[in-house]
Amino acid sequence: MEEKRLSLREKLAGLDKLQLLPVLFLFFLGILSIYSAGAGASGGGMKFALRQLVWGGISAAAFLFVLHTGYARILGAAYPIYMGTLAVLFSVMILGLTVKGSQSWLSLGFLRFQPSEFGKVALILVMAKHLCRYPPLTASSFLSALGLAGASGMLVLLQPDAGSALVYGAITIVVVVAAGTPWKYPLTLGGTALLLIPFGWGVLKEYQKARILVFLDPWSDPLGAGYNVIQSRIAVGSGGLLGKGFLEGMQSKLRFLPEPHTDFIFSVFSEEFGFAGAIGVLVLFGLLFWRLIETGMRTKDSRAKVLIAGVSAWIWFQTAESIGMSMGLLPVTGLPLPFVSYGGSSLLSLSIALALVQSVYLSTLKSY
Amino acid sequence: MSDLRALLDERLKLWRWIIAATLILLGGGLYYFQILHEDTYVRLASGNRLRLIRFPPIRGEIYDRNGAPVAANVTTFDILGYPLDIEKNDMIEHLAALLSRHGIPVTGEDLEKNVKKQYWAPYRVVRVVTNITLAQMADLVADPEFPRQFFPLPVRRRTYPAGSLASNITGYVGEISESEMKLAAGKGYVGGDQTGKTGIERQYEDILRGTPGEESVEVDSRGRRVKSIHIRPPEEGEDLHLTLDLGAQRLAADLMKGYRGALVVMDVTTGGLIVLYSSPSYDNNPLAWGVTPKEWNALMADPDKPMMDRSIGGQYPPASTFKALVALAALTEKAVTPSTTFYCSGEFRLGRRVFRCWRRSGHGTMNLLTALQNSCDVYFYQAGLKLGITKLMKWAELFGLGSATGVDLPGESSGTTAGPEWKKARIKEAWYLGDTVNYSIGQGFLLTTPIQLARLYAALANGGMLVTPHLSSGGGEPPKKLDVSGKDLDIVRKGLDYVVRRGTGRQAGSFGITVAGKTGTAQNSHGDDHALFAGYAPMDDPKYVAVAIIEGGLHGSSVASPMVGEILSYLLLPESRAKTQ
Repeated sequence: MEEKRLSLREKLAGLDKLQLLPVLFLFFLGILSIYSAGAGASGGGMKFALRQLVWGGISAAAFLFVLHTGYARILGAAYPIYMGTLAVLFSVMILGLTVKGSQSWLSLGFLRFQPSEFGKVALILVMAKHLCRYPPLTASSFLSALGLAGASGMLVLLQPDAGSALVYGAITIVVVVAAGTPWKYPLTLGGTALLLIPFGWGVLKEYQKARILVFLDPWSDPLGAGYNVIQSRIAVGSGGLLGKGFLEGMQSKLRFLPEPHTDFIFSVFSEEFGFAGAIGVLVLFGLLFWRLIETGMRTKDSRAKVLIAGVSAWIWFQTAESIGMSMGLLPVTGLPLPFVSYGGSSLLSLSIALALVQSVYLSTLKSY
Repeated sequence: MSDLRALLDERLKLWRWIIAATLILLGGGLYYFQILHEDTYVRLASGNRLRLIRFPPIRGEIYDRNGAPVAANVTTFDILGYPLDIEKNDMIEHLAALLSRHGIPVTGEDLEKNVKKQYWAPYRVVRVVTNITLAQMADLVADPEFPRQFFPLPVRRRTYPAGSLASNITGYVGEISESEMKLAAGKGYVGGDQTGKTGIERQYEDILRGTPGEESVEVDSRGRRVKSIHIRPPEEGEDLHLTLDLGAQRLAADLMKGYRGALVVMDVTTGGLIVLYSSPSYDNNPLAWGVTPKEWNALMADPDKPMMDRSIGGQYPPASTFKALVALAALTEKAVTPSTTFYCSGEFRLGRRVFRCWRRSGHGTMNLLTALQNSCDVYFYQAGLKLGITKLMKWAELFGLGSATGVDLPGESSGTTAGPEWKKARIKEAWYLGDTVNYSIGQGFLLTTPIQLARLYAALANGGMLVTPHLSSGGGEPPKKLDVSGKDLDIVRKGLDYVVRRGTGRQAGSFGITVAGKTGTAQNSHGDDHALFAGYAPMDDPKYVAVAIIEGGLHGSSVASPMVGEILSYLLLPESRAKTQ
């Protein structure tokens, strides 16, 4: 369908505003919370908030670039992009800087980024293309799709970044199911995985075991690993209906919360803005998901449907995990809350993903 | 194709429901914590009602083989407080004044500095004052002016009753450093914890340490305890029993007084270390209680290096003590027989180079036994040349030279069996036959530690079993059987008997027991020669092996051999034990 390409201006005019608005709102709330998180004893609130704003600008530029290029052309290059990503993930494993015990950062002199974040985009792209070329309707094509996705997941797991590897896993399962695989395949796989859990326990590192045990009973180690869970739950719970007010959250100011501007950003936010604010965030995410799936339903391109399933799975998993963790309902993994947590790599790669979805949305507006 | 698309749309719809359900569940969770249980969490959060206390575990004690303590614990008191409660109303200044009134000289400034250093969060307890005795503490709490915001905590501190006698063995504990904390990640250390820094304390840290206990307490707005939310008592560390004999170690210290060097005594069959003394030594008590950087630097800068354990870390040429091994190798490899003789004129010519015997006038015709007895260099020059460097090195390595013995102490040196490859890499020179000549009498580049020599002589004494030296009574791997003939060993042992009975080591034999062994004088390019003696007793049925190395002691025969004789006699003769004690 060779048509006259839309100019960037026309594209911007045609964007799905209902999808864009909640994202901008979440980003804004994120800036506030990042500032607040660093306003107390741990310090650096202004510095982190300004940096995140700069990352917001970079992300917006990337968004425009991807939108201008169009999702179809990027999908065309999905395989080379994925292969390149695998190469980068591999080299990170070899020469990455050690940050908090895992080698997930690649340093480009003045800025550092986490290839595992961009890897999520590459994974979704390659799966969208691959699953539509070889639909996972037979056991062999189901397994080959898993193998293709597993390559990146494995590399991330080896970094070792178990949290991100879980995201890769969630994305993979959702896209394969969304691509129409018969239920028996994923169910068999899930059953086998359950049986293997006792063996998997031995493979886990000490801190990972501690996190899981503490999740089951935070008071088992209240000064060590359980400490985060208890303090985060206190922060969330003490927020009450309306919260303590902006910059008034004592849990984050007095260093009760570790990593307040990244992993526990939602705890900072809900302590200060309470149940009302927290539900507001959930509503914003709900609106975003609704628009994402809506675009997926509208498009006639199967690849785009799978792509959207992947993007929504990514945001869904990290949102659920990050918010669930802040209440102590899910184990601590250190995953950022999409659009809200401090972190340039996460924000930038999410923007690229949303630009792809917006590009799909634009394609549904074309007259046939 | 459109069938597939319809299937995809169906799946997307399902996916939308799953997402919606997740969001609703999260909302429900928020409702549960923020609305239904708001009170609980507001109470815990307001004024930070949660206090955390940590109970350090009681460290296991260390005993010698007779049950005498070498590392024990004494109770002292620390005064603790929460920054939240004590950083107002000049509370710290007030405490300092009170302490001074009771004869404990501290200033408010010192205490402030202490608090600042440990500050992590306002509700995490800090040690304001440490090392208060029971009497002082009783006196303090009896004073009505003692501020209630501070509270005493009994702590166990390490003391080393044996002090400098066994400091190289026990090592000492100290506050864990950041890098040590990183290494021990996952083991639950926090800043301020004690950890073994050197010696047995470090080697067996995991056994000795125990598990810290902890308690989280809810307090009211004035800091008074309301209830205990969670408590886990500390678990005591395990005691450790050593093979060390403190009485013999004391004798070793007396014998070595004024010398630099090491004295090692080991059980020949088990590898249990009875004596492991390094001279000069240091007192480990002040190190465990904390020394100033100035004191520490003085200790480190001491030219006699008291902190270095010479018994396992000092590297010396084995000198003539190596000849016993050359003799065994030459016999086994058939380079010589017991009746092979070489003539010693006092020197040996190899090409244009002249190698002298230690006795300038020569020993005359020597066979293996008389050569050992008189430590004749010329005999061993030729025996070594017949063996060749490859075989010499093979035998040295077979008996554990050039690699760590695996003793259960940190900081062991491996020495080196420096051969042609080592020489090429190190000084970029080819190996000459002259190097082999020097090697045969244990000079040149060969370096060994005292504990390696003890292990070598133990293997000669026990019939070719290579033991693993160890200090923990349960420690040590099973001995390794070496492939040597008992007949050849008997010949070498006979030679070692001759050394003491009528040769260079006579002074080792004047303590009422039968000793067999070998003297050595190691050339030292930096000063006076080192004196060595390695031997075992009783001669017929060896129980203990002993090695003495005296830096700058000149001749092994005069200084080192009587030390070995006396300490072996102390261990084997009850009456000599009574005499020294």
